[in-house]
Amino acid sequence: MDELSTIGFAPGQSPLHQLDPRTKQALLMGLSAISPWGRLTFLVSLSVVILLSFRAAGIRLSRLIGDIRYFLLFLLFVFVVRTVTFSGGWIPNISVELAGEALMVCWRLLMVVSMGALLMATTRAADIRAALVWYLKPIPVVDEKMAATMVGLVVRFLPVILFQAAEISDAQRARGIERRKNPLSRLMIFSLPLFRRVFLSADELVAAMQARCYSEHRTLPDLSFSRHDGLAIGAGILISLTVLFP
Amino acid sequence: MAVLAWRGPQDNTVSIIQTTHLYHRFADDTQGLCDVSLAFNEGEFTVIAGANGSGKTTLLRHLNGLLLPESGAVTVCGKSVEEDPMAARQQVGMVFQDADSQIVGETVYDDAAFGPENLALGRLQINRRVTRALEAVDLCGFENKRPHHLSGGEKRRLAIAGVLAMAPRVLLMDEPFSNLDYPATCLVLDQILNLHSNGHTIIITTHDLEKVVAHAQRLVVMADGRVVEDGLPTEVIDGVARYGIRPPCSVQLGKGIRPWMS
Ligand SMILES: Nc1ncnc2c1ncn2[C@@H]1O[C@H](COP(=O)(O)OP(=O)(O)OP(=O)(O)O)[C@@H](O)[C@H]1O
Ligand SMILES: [Mg+2]
Repeated sequence: MDELSTIGFAPGQSPLHQLDPRTKQALLMGLSAISPWGRLTFLVSLSVVILLSFRAAGIRLSRLIGDIRYFLLFLLFVFVVRTVTFSGGWIPNISVELAGEALMVCWRLLMVVSMGALLMATTRAADIRAALVWYLKPIPVVDEKMAATMVGLVVRFLPVILFQAAEISDAQRARGIERRKNPLSRLMIFSLPLFRRVFLSADELVAAMQARCYSEHRTLPDLSFSRHDGLAIGAGILISLTVLFP
Repeated sequence: MAVLAWRGPQDNTVSIIQTTHLYHRFADDTQGLCDVSLAFNEGEFTVIAGANGSGKTTLLRHLNGLLLPESGAVTVCGKSVEEDPMAARQQVGMVFQDADSQIVGETVYDDAAFGPENLALGRLQINRRVTRALEAVDLCGFENKRPHHLSGGEKRRLAIAGVLAMAPRVLLMDEPFSNLDYPATCLVLDQILNLHSNGHTIIITTHDLEKVVAHAQRLVVMADGRVVEDGLPTEVIDGVARYGIRPPCSVQLGKGIRPWMS
């Protein structure tokens, strides 16, 4: 259950912590969007900046690696699939040229994920949400405040629902559910109490939110751009320009 | 039966919450409340006791407009709850029986700030209120923790902080001691007594009188959706066993009401 929250916010005072969440999201989106065109110069400079940022934010690399271990396995898989070819027959063929290209692809993906981890580790969830609201505002059909509340509730309650599911499954195993062979009936027996509990707690949740005067016109976290944000955007543009070099 | 419209020690004090001939029927025709008339005075500490299903939770939910009466009326500070539930909810904070479903924030800070944010206060004021509320329940330094990583007692205290941050005058607490171990119970009880001495009006429901009754100024007993006893704890306590409530040990031993916590 804890996998959901490992790349959680770590409080701190680093430059990255002090950036406006909108700046961080813009940098993440901009640099990710441009990365497919980036070659060695781009990737090396981005990596250096990211490593320095992790250092400054006080996040140990071992923690990052632990957090994204499944993703690293996935990268390994991507690398192998892209490197190994079967040219007529069963003998695998490993080409150095393809390996270089595959390495580049994996490196780019790793950069994008590391930037995401950096964003989540240095920004409070409420601020990420407020920035999202700010970006959604110009889109006419989306009710951005409602969207923000929904995202927040999902983040809050997903672990609870998973915990309840695990508990129900344990309780049913304790009463010998494994002796039933029909998977459909097992699914029914499992999901009915789960749904009932989820809906009951949703009712309670609505009451609890009403009791605390929930309304659409709420205070959102303060967002304000400062000189730091200008500098960070400038640095982002500089890194982006390195895509022009091989 | 004791006098229903109990008036408090001084006869002319204004009641902060008043219910008159309150009836409630659920969708499946269960009669939840039946002719409940109660008046609560400012600064009073009341315990509402009753067996499971006696209507305690239902009554509390009427006091801040989460449920609306079938007939009868509820007023908070003289204003009808039905007409302006928002105003009532600002004055009357409620801590739910199940703290888990009450906590809505992704972090401790977010949850304590949820109420003040709903009141559209400025960020500075919100921060000040959150700090004060977390201090009051001894949760300073937990601001960035995730609620589902808290222990049961910490969750209950966070639920109380979330209500305190709205600066209510009345605190309703539904079974505040359920699922708490001895130290956690002491901490929560201590905090409740503090709030009372700061002038808050406190209304607690419970089926276990042992822990709070010594501190209460008034004991209301409910059975089958009705108020069956209402008065000073020392006067009411002897008859509670009849309604499925266990009297405190000290009372059973004939020693009268003694504080549970030394
Ligand atoms: N939503 C509902 N629909 C139908 N009946 C309900 C509903 N909620 C409560 N009841 C019934 O109303 C009665 C009073 O319930 P209430 O929850 O107020 O009891 P309680 O005194 O809080 O009990 P407990 O000590 O178990 O918390 C019970 O008989 C219960 O079954
Ligand atoms: Mg109840």
